Amino acid sequence: MDFALDDDQALIVQTVRRFVDKDLRAWAGDADRAAEAPGKLATVAGDLGFYLDAVPEAAGGLLDGAYGHVTRALRGLELGRGCSAMAALLECNVEPALAVARWGSDAAKAELFASLAAGGLATTGRDSRGALTLSADGDGVRVTGKVGPLPALGRASHVLLCATLDGAPVALLVATAGQRVAAQAPSAWRAAAWGTLTLEHALVPASHVVARGADAVALIGAWYRASLAARAAGVAVAAMEHARHYASERVQFGQPIGRFESLIGLRDDALTAATAARLMALHAAWLCDRATDGASIAAAADAASRARVVAGDAVRQATVDAVQIYGGYGFVNDYPVEKLMRDARPYEQLFGDERFDRVLADPDRAGGI
Amino acid sequence: MDIFHDNAMLAGVRQMLGAFAKQYIRPVAMKHDREESMPWALMKQAQAFGMTQTAVVDGRKALTGKDDEEGANKPKSQSRLGVVGSEELAYGCAGVCLAIGGSGLAASPVARMGTEEQKQEFRRLLKGDDEHGHIKVAAMALSEPSTGSDISGLSTTARPDDDHFVINGHKQWITNGQSAAAYVVWAQTDPSAGRAGVRGFLVARGTPGLIPGRKEHKLGIRASETAQVHFEDCRVHKDMMLGIGASSEGLGDTKKMLDSTRPMVGAQAVGIARAAFDYLVERVQGGTIHGTALKQHQHVAFELAEMEMEIQAARALVHKSAWMADHGQDNVRMASIAKAYGAKVAQDVTARALTLLGEEALEPDHPVEKWYRDAKIYDIFEGTGQIQRRIIARSILGVNAT
Repeated sequence: MDFALDDDQALIVQTVRRFVDKDLRAWAGDADRAAEAPGKLATVAGDLGFYLDAVPEAAGGLLDGAYGHVTRALRGLELGRGCSAMAALLECNVEPALAVARWGSDAAKAELFASLAAGGLATTGRDSRGALTLSADGDGVRVTGKVGPLPALGRASHVLLCATLDGAPVALLVATAGQRVAAQAPSAWRAAAWGTLTLEHALVPASHVVARGADAVALIGAWYRASLAARAAGVAVAAMEHARHYASERVQFGQPIGRFESLIGLRDDALTAATAARLMALHAAWLCDRATDGASIAAAADAASRARVVAGDAVRQATVDAVQIYGGYGFVNDYPVEKLMRDARPYEQLFGDERFDRVLADPDRAGGI
Repeated sequence: MDIFHDNAMLAGVRQMLGAFAKQYIRPVAMKHDREESMPWALMKQAQAFGMTQTAVVDGRKALTGKDDEEGANKPKSQSRLGVVGSEELAYGCAGVCLAIGGSGLAASPVARMGTEEQKQEFRRLLKGDDEHGHIKVAAMALSEPSTGSDISGLSTTARPDDDHFVINGHKQWITNGQSAAAYVVWAQTDPSAGRAGVRGFLVARGTPGLIPGRKEHKLGIRASETAQVHFEDCRVHKDMMLGIGASSEGLGDTKKMLDSTRPMVGAQAVGIARAAFDYLVERVQGGTIHGTALKQHQHVAFELAEMEMEIQAARALVHKSAWMADHGQDNVRMASIAKAYGAKVAQDVTARALTLLGEEALEPDHPVEKWYRDAKIYDIFEGTGQIQRRIIARSILGVNAT
């Protein structure tokens, strides 16, 4: 049991924090208004090792040895402090790259890694409602329905799609070329190149059926949720950093409003929740690093799901309360917190409803309470 | 106390404005949210339904065709009318509701404190269309950059000069601030008098020194215009000072005015919550998850039950506070309770609805996401949630806690 960072982790946290404080925060407002990340994001973040951190060295990436989910979660906490939209773009390649490297065919590896090495993006989605229609076609799979909205899908070359085929979980690598992709700019993570992908009887060849079975899909979900939870905790922390600064300067009724007990209470509760979310995200990531067989994957998946519940609640309340502390200024976009409140939503809404999922996982409720 | 069933007039207004919200407001709400534009065409249509910009000054007769305000002992229906109408319009779109009703904020002090001459002037300024063919609206300019929750710190001044006052200062978060044809601006006439020296002035657009400022880009209620307004040596005739000839409590008048609008503000929050609730009910009725009906899951069904409890409770509080006002009872505590609880419910219901809807509500222009953004202002404007709790706590304990 050790909560300390190793030297590499400490260095990464320090580097990412500097990038977040200097660049991401400076770019966030304009990127939000323009609904597009600045062109320099790819260059600056690429130099820091983003985008290709989960792609094997041999395939043109930066990964030498095992991927570190704890390090990723630490990085995510910092990125969340900066900008959720750009954080999503910087993190979106990880799951597709890890999944294809672990389970994918040579053809899938060659295609995905070549695209990512050339600066392409990939993203991950889940058919959480069972709304897609999947059918077997030889060893391949036909898919009909709408995927998304998902961050990065507006620009992604591939989607790692988690769905169900004949009652069994399956992970597919879907190439977007030649398919109907609609770019979108919703009010949350506006610069995250959102999109939807409409598939009509689209064939995913056998080579791109990345994995079959509950374990693989559960592990992909664990990676995704642990990362979401870490970033959400970072947003909650950022909301209160901004709120504290504002409340120390804003004077009403003869004193800085930060001295009113009720506002101290809002910040205090937000930090308690963010601390819980941070620890749960790190724990889930730690379990992801150790997930090798069915039991350890199930443990990682469970921890990541619970981390996401706590982090989702934390980020919603913290951002709503940050706007509250800013008052009228919180409601206008000259100040950073109204964006944070909009940006909090996908952390709860992407990838399905954790609480509901756990109920649905036991359809007869044989496990009871 | 059931205000719908023992009062045919209120039931009729509810039905009429509910239909207006569904048929006219909903179809254009998203466009005005996206474009951050005032719904001028709709505001003109609303006038045809009796929702005139001078309604508050004219009294409710213009809307209902009869005036039951006569008779000292007879209960009034002004406040209940306000909450019933507000809930329905905000059910359509809170931003549009505020665009239609925003002039009421300025009309209210004119109606309460204005002389007949001032009321005439207010009506004259709002008569007809402007150069864009838009109806004319009014703005109440009270808040300032440094004066949000604590309105006793107003720094805008009105210096007497012969038979005029000279107004200087900056106003912030002013509804209709850029477009108004008439402004009611609050300023300090006598710094040595403190709160008692604060007065409202009716100022016409185009008066030299009245400078409409920048429009704000907001999180929600984007169909309602919010802007800064600047006063630079703006000369206003003393006849346009509100409260002439009557004893004025200065700032106390504005506080009473805010007290009187709180039930309506709470009602708007209830309208938003009900909009999200109805949307969710419809989705749940037909929705499935992995082949099972959503409505058969307690996970979903009990959430709806919880929301319905909250909405009913919030509406009952709003109605009680309005009923008390109409019956001449002191409703300060109850109005704050209704406003604060309504805001809480609107935020809570919209957030829970988004969580239940999940990924589909990440689509651009999703109505529930818009209502989530709209709901937040109800915990901020017209007295923040903290100010309401301060009022409620003071009424319980007799002191201002810090």
